[in-house]
Amino acid sequence: MAEQSPTEADALMSAYLDKQLAPEEAAKVEKLLAESPEAREELDGLQSMLKLMKGLPEVVAPPDFYEKLAKKIRRRKIFSAEGLWMLAVPFQVLSVVLILVVAVTYMLLHLDSDPSVKLEKDPTVQKSPPAAP
Amino acid sequence: MTDPDPSAPPTPRVVDLATVVEPDEPEPQAPVDDPNLTPAQREEAAKRAEQDRRDRRLVRKLKEGDERAFQELVTTYQNRIFGLMLRMIGNRQEAEDLAQEVFIIVYRAIGSYRGEGRFYTWLYRIASNTCKNRIKYLKGRNFHRSVEIEDSPQAQLPAAEGGAIVTFQSQVPGPEATVEGQRMETIIQRELAALDPEHRLLIVLRDVQGLSYQDIIRITGLQEGTLKSRLHRARVALKERLSPFMR
Repeated sequence: MAEQSPTEADALMSAYLDKQLAPEEAAKVEKLLAESPEAREELDGLQSMLKLMKGLPEVVAPPDFYEKLAKKIRRRKIFSAEGLWMLAVPFQVLSVVLILVVAVTYMLLHLDSDPSVKLEKDPTVQKSPPAAP
Repeated sequence: MTDPDPSAPPTPRVVDLATVVEPDEPEPQAPVDDPNLTPAQREEAAKRAEQDRRDRRLVRKLKEGDERAFQELVTTYQNRIFGLMLRMIGNRQEAEDLAQEVFIIVYRAIGSYRGEGRFYTWLYRIASNTCKNRIKYLKGRNFHRSVEIEDSPQAQLPAAEGGAIVTFQSQVPGPEATVEGQRMETIIQRELAALDPEHRLLIVLRDVQGLSYQDIIRITGLQEGTLKSRLHRARVALKERLSPFMR
């Protein structure tokens, strides 16, 4: 492994604090610390900062976290493509029923009139000869 | 440090799964019976293996449509995911919404989880992607939500001027310590929020939540060397920002 510059060794300081360095890398950091008061100061500062971070209180989610989540999921299911299709089904059925009702009403109204009148108006329809006495 | 802007338009909650869900990769199992491990490491590895087994069982049940398995998974991880979001965003309401968003994504995308990697790292990957997307979105709208805990003028002062000092409730008991602890938390949260989001994520994952380097590598996709140098830069940046408040 090539000799590292102080800056490179400095960059290893965090990993050194976390005990994540190979022995030879750790030795380089220790050498730097032995030779440089600035490096020692840097390490002390980092240790204090890490102590602060580890001392942060543990965060707890609100007690109704799951209830709210379940509600959101249910709401989204309704408005998803599948949900909208399910929502549309009654309207589709209603439309078909409405069309049928209109059609039936129309037919019933026209059945009341005499169909022969219509036939007479049709020029292509020949009047049948009167029946022989 | 502003409160949520009430005039801000409602934020989009429909997430494109492809932007946050990545396929899980096979991961080496924790070597529980490795003779080189210390008793504490062995205990940790055994605990982790047990947790992984439990997660796999719950995921299998969830894939079969068992809602109770989903509830159990949420209950197991809600504090960690909410904590990650709170430390990243700094606002409780926003953090709660985002954490719920993460679990909704999990619910929708569980079919694409192949079970080859650990559920835990897959969940964290979704959470960190969701969080980064959100930060980008808020930044694009020039909309800042952050520290809501306590942002008194006293918290702005360095330790030498009667401002916050390096103590937490757990370290020095008593009401004064509680107040000081809350003030320090506010300061840390504020200075964290000033960091680059990539740096902030590494600090939160490693120094607040205590994840291992290996887990962070799997979550962020960084190379080990990159993680080490980036984490160091993040720590140095935060140390510089916090130094006026440390004694």
